[in-house]
Parts: sequence; C-alpha cells; structure tokens
Amino acid sequence: MLPLSIKDDEYKPAKFNLLAKISGWFRSILSDTTSRNLFFFLCLNLSFAFVELSYGIWSNSLGLISDSFHMFFDCTALLAGLAASVISRWRSNDSFSYGYVRAEVLAGFVNGLFLIFTAFFIFSEGVERALEPPHVNHDRLLPVSVAGLLVNLVGIFVFQHGGHGHSHGGDEGHGHSHSLFNGSTGHGHSHGGHGHESKHGDGHGHSHGDGHSHGDGHGHSHGGHGHSHDDPHCHGETTPGTENKMAVMQWVFLHIVADTLGSVGVIISAILMQKYDLMIADPICSMCISILIGVSVVPLLRESIGILMQRTPPSLDNTLPECYQRVQQLQGVYNLQEPHFWTLCTDVYIGTLKLLIAPDADGKWILSQTHNIFTQAGIRQLYVQIEVAAM
Amino acid sequence: MACEPNRVRLICMLSLTFGFFIVEVVVSRITASLAMLSDSFHMLSDVIALLVALVAVRFAQKTQSTNKNTFGWIRAEVMGALVNAVFLTALCFTIILEAVERFTNPHEIEKPHVVIGVGAAGLLVNLLGLCLFHGHAGGGHGHSHGGGGHSHGNKKNKRGKLCKSERPNGSSGEETNNLVGSHNSPPNGVNTERRRHEIVCNDSEMQMNGSAPYEELDYSHDEASLNMRGVFLHVLGDALGSVIVVVNALIFTFVWRPCPPGETCFNPCIDSHSTDGNSSSFQRTVVGPCWVLYLDPTLCIIMVGILLYTTYPLLKESALILLQTVPKQIDMHRLNERLLLLDGVLAIHELHIWQLAGSRIIATAHIKCHDPTSYMDVAKRIKDFFHDEGIHATTIQPEFVTINSESSASLCELSCRTQCAPKLCCGAADKLGVAVAGPVGSEKILSGEGNALAASAIDVINETPQGAAVLEQAATAVVQVVPQLEPEVVITREVESSL
Repeated sequence: MLPLSIKDDEYKPAKFNLLAKISGWFRSILSDTTSRNLFFFLCLNLSFAFVELSYGIWSNSLGLISDSFHMFFDCTALLAGLAASVISRWRSNDSFSYGYVRAEVLAGFVNGLFLIFTAFFIFSEGVERALEPPHVNHDRLLPVSVAGLLVNLVGIFVFQHGGHGHSHGGDEGHGHSHSLFNGSTGHGHSHGGHGHESKHGDGHGHSHGDGHSHGDGHGHSHGGHGHSHDDPHCHGETTPGTENKMAVMQWVFLHIVADTLGSVGVIISAILMQKYDLMIADPICSMCISILIGVSVVPLLRESIGILMQRTPPSLDNTLPECYQRVQQLQGVYNLQEPHFWTLCTDVYIGTLKLLIAPDADGKWILSQTHNIFTQAGIRQLYVQIEVAAM
Repeated sequence: MACEPNRVRLICMLSLTFGFFIVEVVVSRITASLAMLSDSFHMLSDVIALLVALVAVRFAQKTQSTNKNTFGWIRAEVMGALVNAVFLTALCFTIILEAVERFTNPHEIEKPHVVIGVGAAGLLVNLLGLCLFHGHAGGGHGHSHGGGGHSHGNKKNKRGKLCKSERPNGSSGEETNNLVGSHNSPPNGVNTERRRHEIVCNDSEMQMNGSAPYEELDYSHDEASLNMRGVFLHVLGDALGSVIVVVNALIFTFVWRPCPPGETCFNPCIDSHSTDGNSSSFQRTVVGPCWVLYLDPTLCIIMVGILLYTTYPLLKESALILLQTVPKQIDMHRLNERLLLLDGVLAIHELHIWQLAGSRIIATAHIKCHDPTSYMDVAKRIKDFFHDEGIHATTIQPEFVTINSESSASLCELSCRTQCAPKLCCGAADKLGVAVAGPVGSEKILSGEGNALAASAIDVINETPQGAAVLEQAATAVVQVVPQLEPEVVITREVESSL
C-alpha cells in the first residue's frame, strides 16, 4: 500500500527520547541571540541565588535566605520568557493550526500578572512594616544589595542591546505607550530590609521574608518598545523572529529593570537608615516601588489583553476604515460586512470579511483587489467570502 | 438574564469576603497580632480574585461586536479564568516560601483563642462560598446566557436538532442536552453530555421555528463555568487555609505546654542553635512538644499540593484556548478527510479552526471547487458540514479551477439556520448568509498579487518593502497552495488577471 501523503510525520512512531528533546531545546535556545542571552542571564541569576542561599544558611541569616527565595521567584519569570521564546518557534501541527506563536503573548501576560502580584505583596509588606517597624539588621545589607545591583546591571546591559533592537519604527504607533525609560520607572521593588523579625532584605531585590519586599526592581522600562518588525516573524518559519524577541524581551527587560531599581532603592533606604536612622524610609520605599511596578506593568498588560481578546490591532485603527472604504469603492461591491481583524502575535494580523457583490461583478478581480488593499495595510492572511446579491 | 445568578453570587461572596477582611484588620490592630494582619491581606487577594471574576462576567455578557472588539467581549471569561489560575499559583508559591521559613524559624502562636475564633468565622464564610459556587462550577442550571436567544430556560423544551454537543470540559451535572424531538425524528433524540457530533443534521426537516431554543444552553454554561471554576478553586483554597488555621490553633491550645507567666522557660525548639548545655532542667519549664510548631508549615505544604493539583487543569485549559488551539473535540485530520469527500470540493487550504470561548468555534478555509455554478451547492454542503461539527461561524474563501463565464449567479442564500445565530461570534444576526458565487480564483490572487503589484494594474500601488516581502510570500504560498491539478489553467488565469 503506497503511502498517500508525503508527510511522513504521521508515520513516524512517536518516540519519547528525553535526551534528544532536551538537546534539541538547547540547540534551539543557543541558536538565537536573544534566547541565548536570556539563558545565560538566567544561569547567572540562578547561581547568584544559590550562592545567597548557601551563604544565608551558613551564616544563619534569615534575610538572606528569604531574599534568595525571592530571587528564585524572579528566575521563574526569566524561565517563562525563555520557554516562550523556544515554544513559539515550534512548527504548527494538527492541534495548533497557527503554530505556537501566541505563546509569547501568553507568557508576557502571565509575567505581567506575576509582577502585579509581587507588587501587591510588597505593598502589603510595606504597610505591615510601617505599622509595626521591625528591627532591621544592617550588617549585610549593603554588600549584598550592591552585588545584586551589579547582577541586574549586567542584565540590563545585555538586554538593552538584544532587546529593543528596533526602536519603534513600526508602521504606525503600536499603540503602546511604552516608553518607560525616560527616567523614572521600572518598578523596582526594592524593598529594603523587610523583616518583621529583623530579617533583612539584602537589598537585592527580593528580600522576601514574610513580606517580601522585593528589592529588585524588575522593571523593564523598555524604552520605546517598538517592535517594528516588518516581517511576520511571528510565524517562526521566517527569519528568527526579531519581533518575536521584542515581545518576550519587553517583559524580561521590565523585570530586570524593576529588579535594578529595587536594588537601588534598597541601597538608598539602607543608607538613610544607617546615617539618619530613618526607620520609616524602608516601608515608604517599598510602597513607592510597588506602586511604580504596578504602574509600569499596566501598559504592557493592556496590550497583551488586547491581543488575547482578539481585539482589532491598535496599529491598524486608522488604516482599516480607509481600507474598508477603498474596498467598497471597487466596482461591483455593494457592501462589506462582518470584518474581523485580530492579532495573532506581534505584527501578524489575520482578517476575515464578507463582501456583498453585484451579480454581474467580476469576483476574481474584486478578490484580488481586496487582497491587495489589505496587504498594503500589513495583513497577511485574509479570508474574503463573496456573496452575490439577489437580482 | 441567565447570568444574573452568577453575578449575584459573586457580589454576595465579594461583599462577605470584603467585610471579613475589614473585621480581620480591625481584630489584628486590637490584638496586635501580625499573623492576623497577614491573613487579612490574604483575604484581600481573595477579594481581588472575586473582583476579577465579576469583571469578566460583566464583560462577557457583551457579546455584540463593537468597533474595536469585533468578536465581542466573550473571551473575557477565559481571561478571567486564566488570571484567577495564575493568581492562585502565585499564591501557592508564596505560601510555600512562608512555610519554608517557618520550618527554619518556628514560632508559637500568640493568643490562640482569638485565632480560633477568627479562623472559624473565616471557615464559615468560605464554606458558604463553596456552596454558592459548587453547583455552578459543575454547571448546573439550564439557563442560557449571553448570546442571543434563549427564550426559555427550561431544558425540556429544547427542540430541534442538536447538531453538535460537545463540552470543552465536562462540567457535569447537567442533563440539559436532552433534545426532545417532538415533531421530528432525527436519528438521535437524546444526546448525552459528551457525545461527539456524529449526528448529521438533515436539512430536509427543519424544525427550527423562530423560537427554537438554542442548544447552547449548556454551552454557555461551559463558558461561564470556566470562570466560575477559577473562583471556586480560589474559594476552596481559602477554605483549606481556614481549616488549617483552625486545626493548628486547636492542636496548639490543647497540646502545647506554654510558658507559665513569670517564669523563665527553656524552649528547645527555637533555641536549638544556642543551647546552653548545662542546667537546662532545673528550675526551668520546658516548653511544649516541638512537633506542634512544625505542624503548621507541613499542613500548608499539603494544602499547596492539593491546590496546585486542582488548579493545573484550569490553567491548562484556559491557556490552550488563548493559544488558538484547535478545540480538542475536533480532529483536524478527519475533518479534512471528510471535507474532501464532499462533492465538488477539490482541495482545502489554510484551514484554521479555533475556539473563541466556550462553544463558539470559528473556522476559516480556502476551498477549491470546479466552477461557480456548482459552487453554490458545494458551499451549502460545506456550511452544513461545518454545522454538523458544531462550527457555525465560518468564512470560506472559494477558489475556482475553471474559467467561468460570469454566469448570473442567482441568489444563493446559504443562510445559517436560526439556531446558529447565537453561536456566531458576534451576534450579527442580520446577515448570516454565506452564499457565494461568482468566479473567484483565489489561488490566482496569490499569484495575481505578484502580477498586479508589479504591473500596478489597478489603483494599487505598493511601494513599501512589505510589498516585496509579500511578493515572495505570495510566490511561496502559491507554490504550496496550488495543487498539481491543471497547472495550465493556472497559467492562463494568471494572464487574465494581469490585464
């Protein structure tokens, strides 16, 4: 019996070879610059966290231990970004007819949720400590927070380059107000020694004790995130998605900058506490930073939610009505109905619409013109259904 | 409206939880107990989760399409479920971390009686919430929601054919799928919950009357239930937490030998690092059994395990919907095969099927047919086929092989049967028709694009680099798309289009 299809994937038995899979993932990670950077930074963070953990256990400092846990928590965000960048490159199959490209949007969204959750917790920690200022142990605060800051600066440097390569050129505004980098933000939740029981946040960012004042500013103040990717890299079959990186990297960058600002904040509050004995500086710092985190996450969250809710792409908000008009001016077209346009992943748009045409109109021509019009607007996949009006 | 009970419950639970949160904060200030304060923040996160679910339910009722959200807001349900699941996971991580800290640094509970009291009250609130949401998570009542129609919430009156009854996840407890085929005799009168759509709806007997109940009564439930499941899990987590608090406090009160006031005690559990080796026994009372202190974190970790186990399916399901997966009850491969078996269908390209939310499934495809005259029948059959699969919002772009003579394609209305109206993604009930006709050579479109663009035959001028990319893509797409049938026809059509 001759095989009727040339796709022999169906005929290959599914072997589960763990080693092959893992090595496949590694190759995939290392092949692309961004994910490579992400991977190394993740390793750096993880090792720093382990060092902190062991040092904390050895010296029996609960603050260090809790801070290292917080760092682990942070690493999960990086891991999510890495997983997303690997997954979105997988090919499409029977269950995922569009491929896995949406994974990055989803990962960004989940990351954003985690960040908001963290901000909320830091805030509550800050409130608790403001009401009942604990005794903060200063000894190890400064060195460790400085070390944490250095690690985060490395991350910023690395992802600054890898991250927003395409500064925002976009066709039209990508609709996200993303330009966090002018100053301020990034939300670092630097949470200074948090410690109800004199645990103290090593400044590095997540000093997470019962409350975690998360010292790291994770912020990705992503200066103008414009992923102006011209090709729908999203599909992964084309060149390694530069904008693919963009979307994922925004989140990672936001996380790292928030961490950095957190470290900075912790250092500042530590200095304040040591020099001026301003105990109130710590909780106030935490609260400010948590608010910053929350505020800076919101634009990215809004964008992710828009994509996931199948919203019409914001960058096409102006061009679509023009396109509709042009289509309706084509000869023979009576009406354009039920247009649906949505974003698959960054800069890949898909649309469907229905055209009501005159009985004697040239359907072929109308179809080709319609496709042309929308292709100019940047929509790659368009499905046009033609209906002939009754005489 | 069908969603009212949902919203009412949510608002009820929300106000209860919020009230309890306030109570806990006040009590913690009075008793100066920090543990109570942190527990109150836990309650606050609960309030937020309920709020998210409420917002999602509100939004998801707006199923009409708007300018920006052409599909309506129905996906909000899925998003609400995802947010809740993620929050739960994050909460679990936090609890693990706190438990680990407690392991390394155990401490006693102060004022256990207050803790018992507040814990019991919290448990009551949570149990109430469980009762409120339990039935719903199972998807119990037969009221339709959102979408259109529904006229009677009465399950029994469902008539008409159930072309497809599938449930994204079997939230059970409902037998609303029974079709009482009163005056028709479809081969399948009754569908069980998870019945796959093998039922073929015959067009010949259309008993859809205008007020036919839509059989998405239970489907809408599924949409709602995804969100409600998230809420239920959250409340369950809370209830477990309260149980742990109460149990712990009880055991502590009865088993722990506290330090009598006015005496110096020796606490072997906490001071284990700095034990003074000598004279630990005389004139000092040894504080209660140490294992009591470790009970709390242990129970917490068990609870986290339970929560994660129950949250994972919800997380996975909502994530899969958001990733535009083909709904799991649909087998693309078989669908493709069966489509090809239809008369007049030569090939299918770019078939995409995805789930908007709940039972609203959307499909798009390019179908290659012989000519426009036969296309009308083919299109009708295709639409029916998709109907049987339960996919009611389809966009089919036809591709023709032969050159047609602009025959007057008379009106061919392939209107969706009335019962499908609510299944369409945005309640555009006015024009559901699919009718197609007219010669359309879309594979030519792809190749035609190249020519047209190059020749700028019509008022389409493309100067951006996108055009070049499109050209390439169009070329490759054509290579993939056009089957090997009649290539010469393709060529001639190409010529034609560039004119």
